[in-house]
Amino acid sequence: MSTADGSVLGNTQIYGGAPRNRAFNVVLLADGFTAAQQNDFNTACASFVTAFIGTPPFDELGPAINIFRVNVTSTDSGADDPVGGGGTGATARTYFDSSFGGNNIRRLLVCNTTTVLQVAAAQVPEFTAALVVVNSTIYGGSGGGVGTYSLASGATEIGIHEMGHTAFGLADEYAYYAGGNEAGHDHHPAGEPSEPNVTINTDRNTLKWRWAVASSTAIPTMSNPACNTVDTRPSPVPAGTVGLFEGAHYYHCGGFRPEYDCKMRALSVPFCRICRQTIWNRIGPLASLQARARTPISVVARYPEHLDVFAVANNGRTMSNWWDVSTGWAGFFHVQGGIASPGGSGSPVTAINRYSGHLDLFTVGTDNRVYSCWWDAGSGWHPWFPIGNLQVRPGSAINVVSRYTDHLDLFTTASDGRVMSTWWHEGAGWANWFQVMGGIAANGATVTAIARYPFHLDVFTIGGDNRVYSCWWDDRSGWQQWFPLPGITCRPNSTVTAVARFPDQIDLFTTASDGRIMSTWWNIRGGWANWFHVSGGVASAGSPVTAIARYSGHLDLFTIGGDNRIYSTWWHEGGNWAGWFNVSGGVGQAGGQVAAISRFADHIDLFTVGADGAVYSTWWDISGGWAGWFALGIT
Amino acid sequence: MDDVIQPAPTLAMRLIFEYEGDRVQLVDQMPVDLLITGFDLTRTQRAGYYLDTRDASGQTLARVPARNVFSTSTEVFPEQPGELITRVEVPVPRGAFTVVAPAPSGADSVSLVRVAPGARDATQLAARAAGAAGAALATTEVARFALQISR
Repeated sequence: MSTADGSVLGNTQIYGGAPRNRAFNVVLLADGFTAAQQNDFNTACASFVTAFIGTPPFDELGPAINIFRVNVTSTDSGADDPVGGGGTGATARTYFDSSFGGNNIRRLLVCNTTTVLQVAAAQVPEFTAALVVVNSTIYGGSGGGVGTYSLASGATEIGIHEMGHTAFGLADEYAYYAGGNEAGHDHHPAGEPSEPNVTINTDRNTLKWRWAVASSTAIPTMSNPACNTVDTRPSPVPAGTVGLFEGAHYYHCGGFRPEYDCKMRALSVPFCRICRQTIWNRIGPLASLQARARTPISVVARYPEHLDVFAVANNGRTMSNWWDVSTGWAGFFHVQGGIASPGGSGSPVTAINRYSGHLDLFTVGTDNRVYSCWWDAGSGWHPWFPIGNLQVRPGSAINVVSRYTDHLDLFTTASDGRVMSTWWHEGAGWANWFQVMGGIAANGATVTAIARYPFHLDVFTIGGDNRVYSCWWDDRSGWQQWFPLPGITCRPNSTVTAVARFPDQIDLFTTASDGRIMSTWWNIRGGWANWFHVSGGVASAGSPVTAIARYSGHLDLFTIGGDNRIYSTWWHEGGNWAGWFNVSGGVGQAGGQVAAISRFADHIDLFTVGADGAVYSTWWDISGGWAGWFALGIT
Repeated sequence: MDDVIQPAPTLAMRLIFEYEGDRVQLVDQMPVDLLITGFDLTRTQRAGYYLDTRDASGQTLARVPARNVFSTSTEVFPEQPGELITRVEVPVPRGAFTVVAPAPSGADSVSLVRVAPGARDATQLAARAAGAAGAALATTEVARFALQISR
């Protein structure tokens, strides 16, 4: 029995229309179907599509899923059914050598997996998962590099469960190895499992799926009182409650699962919330992100060959994408289940890298509290957690400064407009929120801050009289009173952008009430200069001015103009401001923002939400000038 | 946008491996036009098997997980709803698996590596990300294979 016992007829796409190179491609291959029985295989494939696409979360991910069937004829119908496995002793000459009775267990249906993978790759080179459909009504299936299942009722569930392992890296959540009476499986061994859906950690504050656990849910939610056996009691909480249920990963005790039930624990039940989220983050990045129109994008370069971008989806999900010079763009994924406040222009996700192997994120949640989460190269993403109980204005931005590696300063506006700050210090944790010198910000104004020295902060906002205000802090003299920078009246929701090209210089940019793009500067010798209009530029209502200093004698500005086009200008020491120009034909959103970063002096990367709601990027390089815009997804 | 482009994707290679016991061989490799998401582009160190794309000097350029490698047991599924899924040991691990790995410029070989449970984050990738040089490796190379790339 071998490939001589049949032939590959070809493939047919039976579900989906996503580009094959950016899709989750499932391939179903026939075994034990004679030439005359190919319609039976086609019918079985149609049943699989119905079951698969009807299974959450695949039901929401259809636009990024393709399913193909590969018709393969076999000389004989069926599969081997050896007596040693409790079968009839029947033999069948089939292309993939399918056989019941693996390990002398009749339900264990195995095949030649190497041949399956080679045929799948030849027929659908972009395939993600391969499943063999075996023409027999004897119940059976198996997992591994290739899933198999027969035509017996309910066997499609085997294929979906196995995809949980092969495509998404999910662990088995059942609490036993061989049925529950086996020895050596009373207690889970030490060592946190790497899979996202099982744990040995019972600490609510560090639990890897704590983002999905309600504060009212007990942790552990269900404990096994007798570790020499499997806990078979019913759930103490309603179905769908995410908590910590003891008994998982083949052990009666010490291993925990997120929900009482899950498809990774038993067939014919839904995937749990944590598994659904994992599947989302595998398939979701294949699709383009629809972002909130005016919510600012944040970008950091932990090192010159790497970018991390943070945006908010139009449904509020906190999303991230990253680029590495070796692997390109990774695709947008949902960061730890976060949902950002929709007020105003929408709370952005603000990011900072205190050092190259670490990211700290901040946003305002739907309860209008400030949240943070972090990523570390050694431990990955950690769940969102609230910073105090401060109620901020819906849609507020959180601005963050790291004066040195072990320290963070945060700034935002409370629900009543008070300018608020807190700080975090390694070893000491988060301080209480405090009002910065009685400051009150205009409705919609942001609070920006820069650290020219590790012991100094300069803070800026728009006051209630729509003028620009500043104050500063120095570790020798503490906080100083707010003072106005007179000469212009701004939009209440204007942002004051501050750049320190060198420690004794500040350049400020903002928009006047009529949209004019205004600037002033401060230096240690002359103090504050008068405001001036930058090259006649006018910004779209609500659009901030983004400024970067690629080196100390140079500034680049970016904004969305009154015609919603993306504009830039620059200043070089010794010269005047250049005229504004449209960057590569780019069009953004009215009131939108352009994020900019310079990974190295002769390079700029830009990001914005385009007119169609997708996130776009372009770059400038001294050798090639401005490139065209591209939709940011996966490359 | 008036002038939209798409950056050229990173070349990817599909590799098909066959294993028996603790021996593994590469039985097929082919370039494939397929985008690899961040879900599989490993940035943090966790226990398991991975496939590293390496340049000629042995520097790791990218890492993706290799699942279903050297499985010592297999699942047996129940016929009736509500009955238990169980696992059985296999006498000799035997099977095949496939990995789609990035093959950026300079890619020369792939290494199947094993990260032991509880190992600290110490891969070349993580070390680079952390800005640290010469971090001790806790990774065991199982096998290395030359890439045959025609760009």
